[in-house]
Amino acid sequence: MAELATRRSALDGHVPADHIGEPGAVGVNLAVTREVQLWQVAAWPDTVDAVAKAVGSVTGAQAPGPRLAISGPNAVALRVEPLKWWILNAEPPTVASEQGAVVDLSHARTQVTLSGPAAADCLMRHLPLDLREESFPVGSVASTAFHHVGVTLWRNDAGIAVFLPRGFALSLWQLLLETAAQFGARAQID
Amino acid sequence: MSATRLSQGGRIDRSCELAFQWDGKGLSGYDGDTLASALLANNEWVVARSFKYHRPRGVMSAGVEEGGALVTLGSGAHRDANVRATTQPLFSGLEAFGQNAWPNVRTDLGEVNSLFGRFFAAGFYYKTFMGVPPLEWGRGTWLWMQYEKVIRRAAGMGRASREPDPDHYEHANAFCDVLVVGGGPAGLAAAQVAAEAGLDVMLVEQDSKLGGDTLNHPAAADADRLAAISALETLGCRVLTHTTAFGLYDGGVAGLLERVTDHQSIPSVHQPRQRFWTVRAKHTVLASGALERGMAFGNNDRPGVMTVNAARAYMQRYGVRVGDKLVLSTNNDSVYAAASEFAKSGAEVCVLDARARVEPAVTEFAEASGVRVEFNTAPYTAHGRSPVSGLTTARADRDGWALGDRMECDALLVSGGWSPVVNLLSHRQVKSVWDASLACFLPADTDEPLSLAGSAAGVWNTEDCVRSGEAAGARAAQALGRSAPTVSAPAPGGWATPIKAVYEVRVPGKSEKCFVDPQHDVSTEDVRLAHREGYVSVEHMKRYTTLGMATDQGKVGNIIGLALMAEALGREIPEVGTTTFRPPYTPVALGALRGRHVGAHFRPLRVTPLHQWNLDHGATMTMAGLWHRPWYFARAGEGISEAYVREATTVRESVGLVDVTSLGKIAIQGPDATELLNRVYTNPFAKLAIGKARYGIMLRDDGLVMDDGTTWRLGEHDYFMTTTTAHAAKVMVFLEELLQTRWTDLKVHLTSVSEQWAGVAVAGPCSREVLEEALADPSVVSNEALPFMGVVETRFKGDIPVRIARISFSGERAFEAYVPSDYAPSMMDLLWPAAEARGGCLYGLEALGALRIEKGHVTGAELDGRVTIDDAGLGKMASKNKHFIGSALAKRPELEREGRAQLVGIFPVDKSKRFNAGSLLTDGTVGDGHGEGWITGVTHSPALGHWIGLGFIKGGASAWHGKRAVATDPVRAEDVDVEIVSPHMYDPNGERMHG
Repeated sequence: MAELATRRSALDGHVPADHIGEPGAVGVNLAVTREVQLWQVAAWPDTVDAVAKAVGSVTGAQAPGPRLAISGPNAVALRVEPLKWWILNAEPPTVASEQGAVVDLSHARTQVTLSGPAAADCLMRHLPLDLREESFPVGSVASTAFHHVGVTLWRNDAGIAVFLPRGFALSLWQLLLETAAQFGARAQID
Repeated sequence: MSATRLSQGGRIDRSCELAFQWDGKGLSGYDGDTLASALLANNEWVVARSFKYHRPRGVMSAGVEEGGALVTLGSGAHRDANVRATTQPLFSGLEAFGQNAWPNVRTDLGEVNSLFGRFFAAGFYYKTFMGVPPLEWGRGTWLWMQYEKVIRRAAGMGRASREPDPDHYEHANAFCDVLVVGGGPAGLAAAQVAAEAGLDVMLVEQDSKLGGDTLNHPAAADADRLAAISALETLGCRVLTHTTAFGLYDGGVAGLLERVTDHQSIPSVHQPRQRFWTVRAKHTVLASGALERGMAFGNNDRPGVMTVNAARAYMQRYGVRVGDKLVLSTNNDSVYAAASEFAKSGAEVCVLDARARVEPAVTEFAEASGVRVEFNTAPYTAHGRSPVSGLTTARADRDGWALGDRMECDALLVSGGWSPVVNLLSHRQVKSVWDASLACFLPADTDEPLSLAGSAAGVWNTEDCVRSGEAAGARAAQALGRSAPTVSAPAPGGWATPIKAVYEVRVPGKSEKCFVDPQHDVSTEDVRLAHREGYVSVEHMKRYTTLGMATDQGKVGNIIGLALMAEALGREIPEVGTTTFRPPYTPVALGALRGRHVGAHFRPLRVTPLHQWNLDHGATMTMAGLWHRPWYFARAGEGISEAYVREATTVRESVGLVDVTSLGKIAIQGPDATELLNRVYTNPFAKLAIGKARYGIMLRDDGLVMDDGTTWRLGEHDYFMTTTTAHAAKVMVFLEELLQTRWTDLKVHLTSVSEQWAGVAVAGPCSREVLEEALADPSVVSNEALPFMGVVETRFKGDIPVRIARISFSGERAFEAYVPSDYAPSMMDLLWPAAEARGGCLYGLEALGALRIEKGHVTGAELDGRVTIDDAGLGKMASKNKHFIGSALAKRPELEREGRAQLVGIFPVDKSKRFNAGSLLTDGTVGDGHGEGWITGVTHSPALGHWIGLGFIKGGASAWHGKRAVATDPVRAEDVDVEIVSPHMYDPNGERMHG
C-alpha cells in the first residue's frame, strides 16, 4: 500500500442516489462533506484576545464572537463556546500552551448541510431551536441536542451545516432522511 | 320519524360519495361529513353503550366534548379505540365499530346491568366487595381482588390493539410571535390584526376547517369567513388545521397535536400519522370558543337527545336534519336562530324556554318562521328508546318544577347555557371566575402574555367575537412593541334576556335517571350520594364519583356537577370552587409522544468507523451501551461458544485484532494538565515521562472507584486519556465539573476525542510482527524503542498517522493503535493480512471478556459503584503521599473495614461444571439473603480448560482458602461448589506482556 490512504466518511455507502420520499419538488437537499478539516482552538480566560488574533490570522478576518461564524478569505471560524473556536478547512494557528490549546477534530464530526425551502423545518422536527431565517441568519452558530446527541449548527450561504459526532452520524443521518422524505429530498456526498 | 339528509345546503360535497363500514354494515356519506353526521344521515342512532349500565348512547354533540358517540376505528394493528365520531372526518373505506357491547351496540346483553343500576352508585365496588363478613372483616381487599377482573371486563370503553402500532409519528418544534388557538371569528380576527402589525403568527384549529361556530351558520353568510381566511393567506400567517392545542406550559410553550393523515383514505406513506408540536410563542391568544351544555333531566342520555347547536351544525354544515318534529329546550337566547332555521327547512319546531319571558325581539324572528314557544317549561324526562320519541315536560312551579304534559318529538335538543373553554388557561394555574349573570366560569386575568378572545372570554355574539379577537390581536402586537390600532374589547355576554340558571329539572317526589357525566355514567343521584357520604370538597367528589374523568374530562358535565354539589351544600358555586383542568385538552396518542424515537431509533445508535469493515469480515454484533460492537467472528460451523474460545486461544498463541474504538478518549491540554491528572488519579502522575502511558484509577468524591484507564503523555502539556466504554461520558462530565466549579484556577482544556480516534488492539505473541509489517518505520515498535507502557506517534504505510501505546488488556504482548477515524478501514486493511498470514484472528467482545477474566482485569461489571480501590485489589495504586479526589472519604471506617468483599477468581470444584454471572457466593449453609459475595463475570477459559469467574467475596481469596464456597443461582440454575482463588488466574506475574 504505497499510495496514500483515503479517508472514508461515516456516511459513505449510506447516501441514496435517487429522489427521496414525496415525489415532485425537492424540499430538502442533504449534502455530506466527505473530508472535513476541523481544528478546535481554545483560549484561557485571560488570553481570549490573543487567541482571537491568532484565529483571525488564519481565516483572514476578525475572529467571531459567541454564537457566530465569520468566513474570511482563507478559512471559516466558528465560535462554538466562550473560549473555543472551530477553524474549518485550514491548518490551525500555532498557539503556545500558555496561550491556549489546539486539537484536531477533523475526523470527530460528520458535516451534513441541509438546504432547500424545507431545510429549517426538517431540522426543527428534531431540534428545539428557532432556525427561522430572521432568528438564525447566515453566520449563526448554535449547539443543541439531536435525539440526545450534542450537535453544532452553522448557517452559511450553502444552507444549515450540522456537525454530527461521527459515531452517531449514521443513526442521526437515517433519522434525517426519514424526516426529509415528507418534503421530498435529495442527498449527495462530495 | 327519522333524520333527513337535505337535498341542498351544508358544506358537504354531494358529488363525492364515500362508502364506509359501520359495525360491518356498508353505508355511505359525503366528502365533508364527520363519521357522526354520516351515521345520523343513515339513521344510525345507537352508536355506543355507556360505561357502567350499557345504556344505548347516540350522538350528543358535534365536537370534542362528545361523551356519547365514542367508537373504535380500524381493525388489527390499526385499531384505535374511543374515537369521537363527532370529530372524525369521514373518508372512503373508513371502518368503525361500536364498543363496550356484545354482540353489538344495538342489542347489547350488557344492558342487563341497567336493571341493577340502583346498586351501581358511586363507590359501588368498594362498598360491595371489600371487607364483606364473614369472608373478611374491616378493610379487607381479598374479595375485591377476585371480582376486579370480572368488573373491569364488564365496564369500560374500547379495547386497544395489542399489536405494535404500525403508524409513524413525529415531533416538531416551531417558534412564532403570536400563537392563536382557535380558528373561529375571534381567532381569525386576532391573527389578522397581529399579522398586519408585522408579527409572525401561527393559528391552530382542531377542526378540519376554519370558521368555528360560523361553519354552523347558513352557508350563504360565508363571505366574512372566506375573506378572513384569504387575508391570513396573504399575510403569510401559518395555519394548522386538524391540530389541537392540548396544553399550555411555562415560558409560552404550547403542545399541539396535528392529525396529519387521520382523515385520509389512503394515508401518504411519507407523512406521519400525527405530529406532536412544541410551539414557543411570545404571546398566545386563546380563542378556544365555548361549549354548549345540557341539563340534567330524566333519560337525558337517550339517543336523539343532543345540544341545540349540535343539531344546527348537523343541518347547516352537514346537510342532515336530525328530525322532523323537534323540541328545543333552553334557558338562554342562543337557540332561536337555530329554531328558525329548522322551521324554515320544514321541521315542526317547539321551543321550551325555562324562563318566564324573554325580550320580544329574541323570539319574533323564530315565531315568524313557524316556531312555537312555550315559556316556564323544561323537559322532565325523555321517552322512547332509540331514538327518543317524546318527552314529559315540567312546568316552573315557584322555585322548582311540577310535572307538565307529554309531547311527541323525534329529537330533543337542549341548551343549558354555554361554558367558555378556559381549559388552557387552567393549565397555567389561573383559576376561572364564576359569573352568575352568565351562569359560567369566565377567564381571570393573568400576568402571562396570554389573551382570551371571543366566546372563550364569554362573548356570545359573532360580531362581538370579531371585535374581541381584534382587541386581543392588537394587545398582542402592542405588547410585542408593534403599533396596532387599539380596539376596545366587548364585555362578556350579549344576550337580550338573561340566562336562567337551570342545571337539573327535578320534580318533588319523583325520581328519574338523570345524567351529569354520560361518559362515566355519573348521575345526579351519584353526586348527592357523595355529599350524603361526607364528600364536601369538589376535588374529592370528582374522584369518588368519577365525574369529569375519562376522555372528555368533564367538558360539559362539570358545571352541572358543581351546581348540584353547591345546592347540596347550601352554598353558591364560587364557594364550592372548581376542579383544575390539566393537559391534555383532548387525548394524545402515546405514539405521538414517542415520535420517531422507536424501533431502531429508540436510542441513538453509535457505530465505530470499523463497523462496516467488521461486518464485511464476518462479525456478529452486540450492543454495549449505545455502541454496536463486534461480539464474535464465527467461522463456518461455529456458534458463539466455539468462536470465542477459538479467538481467545488464537490471541494467546499467535495474534488477534479487536476494535476498541468505543473506549472513551479525552484530550487533556494546558499548563495545568499534569496537576489535574495528579489530583484525580489515585496514583502519582506528576512525573509521567513524555512518551509513556500509565494505568490509573479514579475515585468518586465518596471514595468509591469511578473508573480506570490509561493516560498517555504526548507532550509537556498534552495528554490522551482513555476511559472504559461504559464510563466515558461520566468521566468527561466529572472532570469538566471539577474544572468549572472547584478548580477554576487550573488552565486545562478537556475535549472528547472519542470520535476522532479509531482504535484497534493488536494482541498476542505475534503482535509486534503484525504492526511492523503495517508501519512505515517498523523499528519504532521494537522492544527497546517501545517497552511496556511506551507510547509512540508514527505513521502506518499510506501516510496514516497513528499513535501506539504498548499496553495490554489481554495479558499478552499487545499494543493499542489509534488512527484518525476516517482511516480506520485502511488501517485494518494493512493489519489484517499481516495477522491472517500468522494464523491470527479477529476477535470480539466475548473473547475480550474471556481474556480479561483470565487475567483478573476489572471493567464496569466489577467497578459498579460499590467497590473501593482495595476491594478491587488495586490498593497499591492509592498514593499515601498526596491528596486526590476521594482520598479523604475513602478512609471512612466502613470503607476500610476488614472483611469487605474483595475481588477474587472463582473455579468450579468439579471442573466440568459451570456457573453464571450474577450468582451469589455463599458458604453453602444458607441459600437465601445476600450471601457472602457475588459473581460479576464468567467465561470458559481456553487457557485453563474449564469455566472460571470473577467476583467479590467477603475477606477475599485468603479468607476462603480451604473453605467450602457455593455459587448459588436460585432463579436459573443449580448450586455449584466453587473454589475461591486469586483473581489473577492466568500468568499471574505478567511475564507474557513483557519482552
